Amino acid sequence: MIRRIRQLLLMLLVCGASPCLADTAAEQGTESRWRLGAALGYGLRSNPLIQSDDIPIIVDFDVAWFGDHWFFDNGDLGLTLSDNALFTASIVARVNSDRVFFGNTDTRFVSFDLTGAPLSEAVAFSVPDRDYAVELGLEMLAGGSWGALQLSGFHDVSGTHDGYELYANYSYGWREQRLYVEPSIGVSYKSARLNNYYWGVTAEEGGIVVARYDATAGINWQARLLLGYQLSRNWGVSLVTEYERINDEAAASPIVDERNVLGFFAGLAYRF
Amino acid sequence: MRLFPALALVLVAPALAQDPVDTGMQLTVKPVLCITDNRNPTCDLSFLVVWQSGETGYYCLYNDFSEAPIHCWSEDRAGRLHDDRIVRENFSYWMTSSDPGSRLAEFTVEVLRMDSDDRRRKRRTRHVWDIN
Repeated sequence: MIRRIRQLLLMLLVCGASPCLADTAAEQGTESRWRLGAALGYGLRSNPLIQSDDIPIIVDFDVAWFGDHWFFDNGDLGLTLSDNALFTASIVARVNSDRVFFGNTDTRFVSFDLTGAPLSEAVAFSVPDRDYAVELGLEMLAGGSWGALQLSGFHDVSGTHDGYELYANYSYGWREQRLYVEPSIGVSYKSARLNNYYWGVTAEEGGIVVARYDATAGINWQARLLLGYQLSRNWGVSLVTEYERINDEAAASPIVDERNVLGFFAGLAYRF
Repeated sequence: MRLFPALALVLVAPALAQDPVDTGMQLTVKPVLCITDNRNPTCDLSFLVVWQSGETGYYCLYNDFSEAPIHCWSEDRAGRLHDDRIVRENFSYWMTSSDPGSRLAEFTVEVLRMDSDDRRRKRRTRHVWDIN
């Protein structure tokens, strides 16, 4: 998988960097191809897994570069195929986001088995580990006075889960000079293979503490509210709250404790 | 002995370099920022322009929208004015004395465009956090 990421980064460097450097001078007075920023504050994202810790967010970096065709957006690498009055279509490579929860789990000693009966001696139990998956897909963006719509479909190309995800997100922003408010809603369909890889429990992983579990396909729902206040050309305050409802199949997994993922962040942001 | 001419030059130089029309003019404008986006490409704002000078005199306020002064003050050392404008790009206010070519103080109002024509800049990423 690391090799694939390297290949993708190499593609960006070879195909993207040269036009970027060449365009710098020509772009005087126009929008920069770079979008660089950092936000410092405090936030948390809850972790739905058992024996897990919430994910703290202290610093958030925003690193993006948008060329005529290629773009890099905070880890996503894209090639724009079509950009017209109606929509923008791109091929995008990304890393799956479900894996992030598995990086914040603990090992604990358990004294009861699956039925609740006490064990003769406590056994160490850890949430099974999962790998990052590199996914390749098509993304469609549309927008106007009615809001912004994002549609995408991604398939695993790293042989990690061999599944796919379909995603739709709609947002609408209001601006009153320095104040900006943007609610958004999203829905994602996760295929059985993707869902089962991350949220299922294999026979090897199952045992006296958790039972084997097979997850089928499911739909996640998301809602998000962004509040921004621009202090100056470069400085702004950002407040974000986010809610995600994990699909029934994942929520029923023995390694899942909470089906709702809640997040917030409040911080001071600087845009270069 | 060679030090004296050099020292004298150092002491005199700032006086010679000083702008002959420097009157200690201070100019402030509020608001300082106009924020636009695709839905609101202009700002309809009422600017409060306040000036203060160290010397009483004849002063005029100009901006980029007109070659004629917005307002002139005679035998004053301070003044204020409300200026209603529809703004879509950076522009400046400046004060002059009786010589319109000599700017005593200048203040630029910045226009910050928050939206982009590039839809990709609005895409949501699905990482741990996405606050943009």
